[in-house]
Amino acid sequence: MASSTRRTDILSLIHIRSDGRRPHEIRHMSCHLGALPSTACGSALPTSACSGSALVSMGLTQVLCVVRGPCDIGRRSDELPDRATLDVSMRTTPFSSPGDRRNVNPSTDRRLIEQSHLLQKVLSASILLHLYPKSKISVTVMVLADDGGRLEAAINAATLALMDAGIPLKDMVCACSAGRWNAGGSDDIVVDLNRREIQTATGMGGGGGGTSDTIYLPVATMPQRGTIVLSQCESRLSGDADAFAQVLEAAMVGCQMVMDVMAAAVRERGMGLWKAKEGKANVMLNDW
Amino acid sequence: MSNPLLHHHFVLPGQVLATSHSESDGGFLRGHGTYIELVPDDDDENDNDDDDEDQALGGGRGVAGTSSSFGKLKKKSSSGGGGAEGWGNFDTSNVVMQTAVGDDNHRGGGSAMADTNDDNDNTNNDQQQEAPLLSKGPQRLIASVAGTVERVNKLISVIPLSPSIYNGQVGDLVIGRIVGVGGSRWKVSLTCSSPSSSGSSGSMKEGQLPLSGVNLPGGVQRIRTSEDVLAMRSLYREGDLLTCEVQQVQKDGTLILHTRSLRYGKLENGVLVTVPPHLVGRRKNHFVTLRGLGGKKKRGGNTDISDSMNVDNEGVDEDGDENEDGSNVDVYLGLNGGIWIQRTVPSRWENAIRADQDERAPLAETLQKLRQRHASTRVSTSMREGIARVRNSIDCLRLVHCQISPESIELVARASLDAGVRVADMLLPEWVVKLTEGTRRH
Repeated sequence: MASSTRRTDILSLIHIRSDGRRPHEIRHMSCHLGALPSTACGSALPTSACSGSALVSMGLTQVLCVVRGPCDIGRRSDELPDRATLDVSMRTTPFSSPGDRRNVNPSTDRRLIEQSHLLQKVLSASILLHLYPKSKISVTVMVLADDGGRLEAAINAATLALMDAGIPLKDMVCACSAGRWNAGGSDDIVVDLNRREIQTATGMGGGGGGTSDTIYLPVATMPQRGTIVLSQCESRLSGDADAFAQVLEAAMVGCQMVMDVMAAAVRERGMGLWKAKEGKANVMLNDW
Repeated sequence: MSNPLLHHHFVLPGQVLATSHSESDGGFLRGHGTYIELVPDDDDENDNDDDDEDQALGGGRGVAGTSSSFGKLKKKSSSGGGGAEGWGNFDTSNVVMQTAVGDDNHRGGGSAMADTNDDNDNTNNDQQQEAPLLSKGPQRLIASVAGTVERVNKLISVIPLSPSIYNGQVGDLVIGRIVGVGGSRWKVSLTCSSPSSSGSSGSMKEGQLPLSGVNLPGGVQRIRTSEDVLAMRSLYREGDLLTCEVQQVQKDGTLILHTRSLRYGKLENGVLVTVPPHLVGRRKNHFVTLRGLGGKKKRGGNTDISDSMNVDNEGVDEDGDENEDGSNVDVYLGLNGGIWIQRTVPSRWENAIRADQDERAPLAETLQKLRQRHASTRVSTSMREGIARVRNSIDCLRLVHCQISPESIELVARASLDAGVRVADMLLPEWVVKLTEGTRRH
């Protein structure tokens, strides 16, 4: 350790993180259901082949999710006889991440492939796919801005978009991350890490490693039944199961907070539709 | 301002609607938007207590003590929905956690991933309309969509917030567009999306119209031959709009359609509007006629121009008589959300055609000629304005999420006539709100 104290060290002494949050505070989260025009709203526009959409921002991370379906599968060979196929693709915009501005190819970028795969697993745990055999539900996630935790934001956005599309879900899936690192001499468990904190927790490259007692753990749960759907830890656990349990617990509490925000957003949407029917809403013509 | 009723009955996916304790009868029936699962064994007795919150089971490694905080949060959020028999009754005790650490397939390190394939899944036979009373043990009814709860005696269902999915029933009138011909059947897009839009069939499954489900020209009844298969495009080709009826719903939800009635068939010379399917309710008759909306009436100001233009319509247009039919508009309310508007075919056309042909000509032939005449006759300007007014009335109703029925369409259209609104102005926000005012007085 250098003799000069950095600003972050001072903040960590009073348990405030670099962006001013307390350890167990999630980032400001806003959700917007029905962000895109959808066929559900009766548009005959060819661009609006979606049945539900949601825009979720967690802090500076912003993610747009579009759900289409259940619709026909193009190829017969892809059909499943007893349930719907879930097609998930995750993409990033070239301007999404602050560091490298390369346009990553979603079909070859390993991080994106892995995260789409995780998202697919998470969603298929929740969607009642057996209700729509031989059809396809496609979920497309576009990462508009990436300040860490894009997988969590994507899961939350996908849940909301599916709800917007009216696709039956077993439960709402909410995702939040938690982490632990040894900063300023004390162990800190923090919730909903941003990019900078993730880099601290995983080592600078973000590719794994880090020191032995740092953990970064994205978790997705179904908060109403308390089931964990996803918990992905890439850090090396130094035989310290207690630390992992604590981080997991913190993440689950974070998921509950995320759930509350999402539930409020859905209720708000419901109220909006109700009020439109009552003629109290501002009728927007571009709300096709 | 906020409707307390809505608040009380608004549920989210995963929310427990009701729990039945008795082993014999369920105490509830499963409606739309819900599913049933067994309450896990380990908390049979104490559904409503939160004394066994520490039952959190760790799959791979012990994770305990997380649920106490959840219990409080859940209690808080469920407090709004108190009421009869287990409304908003979260059982906090059902905390089942699974964390399988280290045995993941695609990442060698410490990646952990656990699906919720626990024992709950064996009760997911959601397709039956009624809940089959499953083997034993307490069951609970859980919402699967976000929406408002509706309850009829024992039947509990959730009306979705934005039901974009059309679930067909036998006998439904739908309006679709042909997107494919082949295999002795037509593929019908029920979103009415245009065939050019890059092969995307919209967000609904396509319907199937088999060759045996159409009337052959002239109304002859015979077995379809291979010549008929080759001549399919002469009946309907890609891009054609048609009305049809659902003949059969297959197990996987595919709709088999038919047009074996003289009322069904190709749609020409009119306007299509698409609305969310849930706005069109099932009713006795989906072919409705709105009387006196198709122009021909002296109205304020702006219609003068169109009336004067009507004079130089080259005589093609025959709506101009004093005939009552001249001002009527036909509306076909498709249950998939497609709505077709066209002029009402005047009854004297039919009389004229009948007079031309001999007595014993089949009705099918007459109607076919009538259809041809409708397709080839130009629509007068005033009638077009009437059709456009009806179209915009439907659009107004869609924008305020109001149920679309002949009465509500007529109400909006009449309101616009009374207010002297130009057809193009009807969709301005202030007019939308004003014109649909009448639909809100329940």
